[in-house]
Amino acid sequence: MNKERSSVFSGIIGNNIVLSSLMVVSPVIICGDTLKNAAALVYAFSAITFLSVLISSFVPKKLSYTVKVIIYAIISSLVYIPVKWAAQEFFPGAVERIGIYFPLLAVNSLIIFRSEAELYKLPKNRMIIKLIFYILGFDAVMLTTGFIRELFAYGTINGRIVDVSTPVIGLAQPFGGFIFLGLFCGLYRWIRSIVISKKEEIRGDADVSGK
Amino acid sequence: MTKTARKERLIWLDIMITLVALELMSCFYYGLRSIVLGGVCIAVSLITEILCLRLMNRQFTADDLTCTSDALIIALMMPATMDYGIAGIACVFAVVAAKNVFGGRRNIIFSPAAAAYIFMLTSWEKKLLLYPQPHMRTGIFDEPEGLVNSVSYVYNTTGKMNYTDFELLMGNFSGPAGSVSILMLLIGAAMLILRRDISAGAFLGTITGTAFLSYIVPASPTAEIRYTFVTNMVLFAAVYIISDRRIAPKKEYYAFFYGLFIAVFSYVIVLTTGKENAIVIVSVLFTPVSLGIKNLEKKIELAHIEASETAAENFSAVDTTVIENSDEKTEDTSNE
Amino acid sequence: MFLVNELIALLAANLILTQALGTSTIFIAAGSRKNLVGTAFMITVFTFTGSVCAYFADKLLPEKYSDFKLLIYVISIGILYVILLSAFYFISRNNFENSRKYIHLSVFNCAVMGTLLTVSGKASENSSITEYMSAGLEAGIGFIVAALILTAAYRKLNSSKVPAAFRGFPAMIIYLGIISMAVYSLI
Repeated sequence: MNKERSSVFSGIIGNNIVLSSLMVVSPVIICGDTLKNAAALVYAFSAITFLSVLISSFVPKKLSYTVKVIIYAIISSLVYIPVKWAAQEFFPGAVERIGIYFPLLAVNSLIIFRSEAELYKLPKNRMIIKLIFYILGFDAVMLTTGFIRELFAYGTINGRIVDVSTPVIGLAQPFGGFIFLGLFCGLYRWIRSIVISKKEEIRGDADVSGK
Repeated sequence: MTKTARKERLIWLDIMITLVALELMSCFYYGLRSIVLGGVCIAVSLITEILCLRLMNRQFTADDLTCTSDALIIALMMPATMDYGIAGIACVFAVVAAKNVFGGRRNIIFSPAAAAYIFMLTSWEKKLLLYPQPHMRTGIFDEPEGLVNSVSYVYNTTGKMNYTDFELLMGNFSGPAGSVSILMLLIGAAMLILRRDISAGAFLGTITGTAFLSYIVPASPTAEIRYTFVTNMVLFAAVYIISDRRIAPKKEYYAFFYGLFIAVFSYVIVLTTGKENAIVIVSVLFTPVSLGIKNLEKKIELAHIEASETAAENFSAVDTTVIENSDEKTEDTSNE
Repeated sequence: MFLVNELIALLAANLILTQALGTSTIFIAAGSRKNLVGTAFMITVFTFTGSVCAYFADKLLPEKYSDFKLLIYVISIGILYVILLSAFYFISRNNFENSRKYIHLSVFNCAVMGTLLTVSGKASENSSITEYMSAGLEAGIGFIVAALILTAAYRKLNSSKVPAAFRGFPAMIIYLGIISMAVYSLI
């Protein structure tokens, strides 16, 4: 039971879609250079993915895989339209700044492939919880990336100047995104392996004492 | 200590000797600041390397001192007046992102110094490409003043060279701290090639490619072949980056073509875009080529081993049948 | 000299190295020669034929309905998806099982959709169909070049000498990042 519960909540840390499965990485690499861009992307990803997966979950499972995938993509590109209108209202200038990565979020692999392979096999309430945690996992990575890259590349936090003696402009460029994400991913895996080995140690100790 | 480990350390020592000679020349032209810059680079690299190895649960050994030669190469590619902070960040980048992330010295993919140079180029281009004039001393903690474009920049954009051959040979012109001392570089190259510390094939390939193209397609009517070697860190990169045994293909003839292609590409880039020190950038872009050639070398080696093993098996099979036959014959004769 | 310049231009316009489009797909493509050929071929087919569809969509869709562009592209790619699957099924049923996974992998891929959106974004009113087609083909070739770059280092990046935390994807991303940095510094 505990295992099942933790698998539902694992989307943020244990099974993060960006750091663990390398899904939706291009917006993180290209647009995650400032906190403002990150916030706009977080909104777009969260809204599009949540609504699309929720609506797509009503698509009959009997249909063939190809047809289902096309229907999921059509649903998400329809959801994208009102989300874009709302973004123009609430995040002025964000749609232009993010460029093609805004519509690309609508065809992200979480909506098109992962949901079919994993989420739709779960009962509705568990699916929603798991989806929310997946989205939160992406949001956490996006915001962290945006914060750190903005701080070290431009010497600002959300546009406010902070005293950084030697800003590394390259960190704001696509290659900076690649390198940063690679290092972040490695750090995440390293921490995860330590946590897992500690957990196993504790479990081993408990088994010994139980005996 | 194994033979390879001893060889690795000797290579490092030889390279360090040539780099220290360049550092001393740089000190002669730019004062103590260039020595301090080299020291900062070495210290930062060493500390970062020790930390990385500790995180990887590995022990720091004398072989890991190669990070100091990489650090000195980085220092010599910068202007002597470079900001210490930037130099430190570049060294951290070289040790962490360009080296230890891929497994450190046991699994080198990029030249750490070349990657760090490009990293600086993309983030602090103006600071990296403005140099002090020779004999203009800047205090260790002073802000540099009167910085100028390098001779390479002037040559790439105008095709003019206002220095005598003696000045060029001695490195008495504005440019990266250590890569302008042509005489020292030539002596260093000869020593390293003779002691087999660098890939002779890659070095010759780079030199041949540059010489051939600058003869066929000169940069300007007044251009001469020797100017092509003196400018854009061609000679420095040929010795310390392209011919690096850790990166270049093992077989000399493959390494020759590797160096040749890098030279051709970088010459064309300099000619068409005027990009300063393009050879360092191209050397990083050619890393996949080098890795591809190395993969090919391994496959050929394996095929050779397999072929020789099959030949040996066949030979032993023939041998045993011959022995068996001769045994039978002796048995026959004894029976008779 | 022309060849060198063309190669540099191809690198500079590379969707993976400069825009990070299709990054996760390239990791699968670089895994083996079979995957490389299969994925690169399918991506090129989708980007090439998709850009033809994008041309007609851009020309026929009125400006005020530009928000529906993505929907039109998705429907076009969806139709291509069905056509390709059917074509492969009827051409060779034996090879269909092997090749269909590459079609599934390439459809609605960031590299494909990103190409269509980039081509459309760069196009002007006077852009011809050949410009769209050449951009689509260039994107496909760019994918192949990037996949080859990664394939060369694939074994080293997955070797046991690489620290466990960085082995595989993280090392591959950093490797691509350094190559992308070199490309960026040339532009």
